[in-house]
Amino acid sequence: MSKPAAPPSERRPTDWKGAAMQKRIRRRYAAERRFRVLGAGAVILSAAFLGFLLLTMVAQGWRGFTVTELALPIDLRADGLKIERRQLATPAADLALASAGLEDVVQNAAVRAFGPEGDGYLAPSAWLAVRTAVKRDPSLLERRATVYVPAATGFDQALAGEGDPAMEAGVARLQKLGAISRGFNWAFLRESDSTDPVAVGIWGALKGSLLTMAITFLIAFPVGVLSAIYLEEYAPKNRWTDLIEVSINNLAAVPSIIFGLLGLAVFLGTWQIGGHVYGPMLPRSAPLVGGVTLALMIMPVIVIASRNAIKGVPPSIRDAALGIGASPIQVVFHHVLPLAMPGILTGTIIGMARALGETAPLLLIGMRAFIVTAPGGFTDPSTVLPVQIFLWSDEVSRGFVEKTSAAILVLLAVLLAMNGLAIYLRNKFETRW
Amino acid sequence: MTVASPAPHKMSARGVSVSYGDKQAVKDVSIDVDMDKVTAFIGPSGCGKSTFLRTFNRMNDTIASARVTGEITLDGEDIYSPDMDVVQLRARVGMVFQKPNPFPKSIFENVAYGPRIHGLASSKTDLEGIVERSLKRAGLWDEVKDRLSDSGTALSGGQQQRLCIARAIAVDPEVILMDEPASALDPIATAKIEELIHELRGRYAIVIVTHNMQQAARVSQRTAFFHLGQLVEYGETDNIFTAPREERTKDYITGRYG
Amino acid sequence: MNPFALSFVILGLGLIGWLTARARALRFDRGGAKRLHSLPAQHGWFVAMWTVLPPLLFLVVWSAVSPGLVRQTVLQSPTAAGLSDFAFERDSVLAQAREVAKNPYDTEADPLARQLAPVVRAARNRYAWTGTAAAALLAFAGAAFALSRIRPDFRARSKVERTLMMGLLVASLIAIFTTIGIFASLFWESTRFFSQVPITQFLFGTHWSPQVIDAKDPGASLGAVPLFWGTFFIGAVIAMLVAIPFGLMSAVYLTQYASATTRRWMKPTLEMLAGVPTVVYGYFAALTVAPAVRKLAVLLGDPFASSESALAAGLVMGVMIIPFVSSMADDSLAAVPTAMRDGSLAMGATTSETISRVLVPAALPGVVAGVLLAVSRAIGETMIVVMAASGAATITLNPLQSATTVTKQIVDLLTGEAEFDSPKTLAAFALGLTLFVITLLLNIVALRVVKKYREAYE
Repeated sequence: MSKPAAPPSERRPTDWKGAAMQKRIRRRYAAERRFRVLGAGAVILSAAFLGFLLLTMVAQGWRGFTVTELALPIDLRADGLKIERRQLATPAADLALASAGLEDVVQNAAVRAFGPEGDGYLAPSAWLAVRTAVKRDPSLLERRATVYVPAATGFDQALAGEGDPAMEAGVARLQKLGAISRGFNWAFLRESDSTDPVAVGIWGALKGSLLTMAITFLIAFPVGVLSAIYLEEYAPKNRWTDLIEVSINNLAAVPSIIFGLLGLAVFLGTWQIGGHVYGPMLPRSAPLVGGVTLALMIMPVIVIASRNAIKGVPPSIRDAALGIGASPIQVVFHHVLPLAMPGILTGTIIGMARALGETAPLLLIGMRAFIVTAPGGFTDPSTVLPVQIFLWSDEVSRGFVEKTSAAILVLLAVLLAMNGLAIYLRNKFETRW
Repeated sequence: MTVASPAPHKMSARGVSVSYGDKQAVKDVSIDVDMDKVTAFIGPSGCGKSTFLRTFNRMNDTIASARVTGEITLDGEDIYSPDMDVVQLRARVGMVFQKPNPFPKSIFENVAYGPRIHGLASSKTDLEGIVERSLKRAGLWDEVKDRLSDSGTALSGGQQQRLCIARAIAVDPEVILMDEPASALDPIATAKIEELIHELRGRYAIVIVTHNMQQAARVSQRTAFFHLGQLVEYGETDNIFTAPREERTKDYITGRYG
Repeated sequence: MNPFALSFVILGLGLIGWLTARARALRFDRGGAKRLHSLPAQHGWFVAMWTVLPPLLFLVVWSAVSPGLVRQTVLQSPTAAGLSDFAFERDSVLAQAREVAKNPYDTEADPLARQLAPVVRAARNRYAWTGTAAAALLAFAGAAFALSRIRPDFRARSKVERTLMMGLLVASLIAIFTTIGIFASLFWESTRFFSQVPITQFLFGTHWSPQVIDAKDPGASLGAVPLFWGTFFIGAVIAMLVAIPFGLMSAVYLTQYASATTRRWMKPTLEMLAGVPTVVYGYFAALTVAPAVRKLAVLLGDPFASSESALAAGLVMGVMIIPFVSSMADDSLAAVPTAMRDGSLAMGATTSETISRVLVPAALPGVVAGVLLAVSRAIGETMIVVMAASGAATITLNPLQSATTVTKQIVDLLTGEAEFDSPKTLAAFALGLTLFVITLLLNIVALRVVKKYREAYE
């Protein structure tokens, strides 16, 4: 076969095998590799930051879940605690034990058992442990017994090798006595805030969060889903509808602190919640107030997610239902909504997770009270987990560092569970059409 | 595999198969492409002709699940051998796609893209010369010479496709692969593209995929008919259209299926 | 009865109403006299609606009004005669009386409060029972009225559906009310602020020290320029210097290079960065990053470096923003047609050349919009700066020095013990209004850009 006549070309054909071209291509491949490494580096560094953050929290926080307890030999009767057994059965038992001088009795017992500095080894809240023990077993009033009480923060740190020398000597002595035991800090999950880092717990804040989230859900979910249904299925195309859409899109991007200002101005300025017109009928830090504020904040998230889920239901299903004579309302509530529900729930969970981690607006409306008992209802003063974390992070006492990190671990665990649930829902009910 | 001997053909495929995962899209196809001939691939949609075309400049590499076996040579060199540089291969074997895909850049930058990345121009004037020459060859120069800095996406569909041809020409390729280049265009623009193919013949080896048999008859000298991933018939265009050897080819050409 | 328990009881009544009405409608149906216009269940809904809605609305109003009535009754009781005339003192005793009414073993309460407690309890019980009785009455009246209307030809469905439609409309109007509420409350409080401090002094003044406010010229120490600068410096400069390269490169790598498995695992991992609560970032910034940055500053020869540097807060904020930039860039890159990518690769471009010369320029509007949204999020971010940034308002270009932000100052101003009407408190609302307007503008511009960009490829 003959080669075709070379076309008249103005340029010499490119010499792809030439040295200059080979050098150039090597340079281009090197650039390609560099670029790729940069990209991988960005991903790895971002993930590494997350890992570092989590590791830091675990490293600091795990001690928060443990407690150092001292075996304290105590004989309440001999030490002069003047209280009758029957008093323990009344609701005023705490009061009676406090006024009978239980705190001093416990301190004296510590000095006798552990030496002149013994009361310093005990946490300031140690006598409360004795109180609980006595209430559970009133026979302790009449006999010698050993009660396990929490050790002071300083003692705990000395045990970890970070305390001052005097305390470390104490640790050594008590170790010889065999009086030290470490265990899981159930109190951390059961108790509420306290001034003594050894005695603090997250239950109060966790319950406050649960109550607040309940209010948020009860408001944001129905309102969000209903307005999504309206906008997606029934709203006429006009200015008002546009205005609603613009409002929702912008609300979704408004900084959370602005919702705090709204809450402050409306609930506290206008309705005088926590103010002095009706007297503080509803405390500023009630879950009801916080819940409503957060509901306004996450409602746009739920609306947007629900609209997308409703949009994803194919029109053929609507046509089919309309075709057999269902009313527009029946079409939506019987056919579209059930099909869109997984998507709506996923969006709702993500919104709720956002609300659960939110701090700033609650800080502004005043949900930063010092709460020593878990709230009993929606109108009791309470705090929430993120605010509790913030409050503890401000504490000077070193014992709070591990408690703050431990509380963060609890918060992250709850959030992880919620997001896991959202992902599970999304995967399980992935669109079937 | 085979000893590289001076090959008479510009490109040849020997026993080429392509599969995506477990699905085999092209089965054992052998074909030659020559400098002075336009080769047309015809066949019903989904017959593997586009997939096969993409093996000629290794565009299948961009699809993770695609696997190519067999041998394809360019000037006797195996293009799937580790020594073959895919970047240079694609500069030598250009491609024009079904839908015009100019970059969202100016007309000038669109054409200058290839020369720039491959470092073909020695100076700015040189680059301007390349752009002008390429646009002239693609028959677009007169229409755009006064607005080279306008966006390439602002042109009409037919002009966009000729811009894409100019872009492919600018790196001075040896082979141009065209994947249904006129299927998204109106009849007038299609006629212009076909005319352009006529003019480009001889300067470049051209392979064109089309589902339009008249088009194949008009522009090509050789035709390959594909069906269900297999090469059914391959020969001179005149023979295929006037005296097909295979029953299936005849059925297709006479419009029994498509 | 407490309102929550009462609401459940009302809902229970609604259920009973629903069942009764449905049973009645079914009887009509079986009677066969006439065909029912609506389904039995729709009659049920009609009755349930009349049973539940009026008492619930009443309860909402009642729980807003009754505390005032309780207070009125207590104040009129003879025991209350001993109360102080000073509002603050009186309210404090009343509050204690309420506490004692709840928990009689509270011994630390004021003696007068202990006397008042039974009065409070009695008044409260009385109004609680009044409310409960009224709500129950409304529920039964509504149910009776609705049940009496059930006939075979009664159009229960259209009634129920019309109410439901109203409900849908009201729900969707809440978004507008919230927006108006935000704007109105910020605007109202800000007007009060600007009547005390000239707006020009606030917007252009360069001295910010709300701790010491001269009562005669409050504006002299309320110039917000240092805050605006600090916000811009931390949120739009330092944070973006971290977030843009990391976010963009992550998106590029995950969409263009990574294998499907890597992408499936790394994308959610990066998104987790956005799910970590900001208070956790704040704690991390204050406890771990800030001391490290300070050490660095000392190494660089500044022995008095601040441990509340702009850099520490900005770095952590940048990390938090990475997923936002990354997912916006991801979406924008995905919106670029694959034909574009194929076209470039077919020219013999390497992947990185294709990305940097074709894909990223094509996706640029979307990426820019994403960055604007990220900036808006960064400048509105609160907890990181509250915990890690400084309260000192300085204008500095040195990232190792301290800087403060608008959000940090809002929190600081409002968590003190100031009067609600003082310029100090009101300044927080003026700052809030500024923040609201700026983030709103950023969002509007960003959404416009995104919309235009989407249209370009459709």
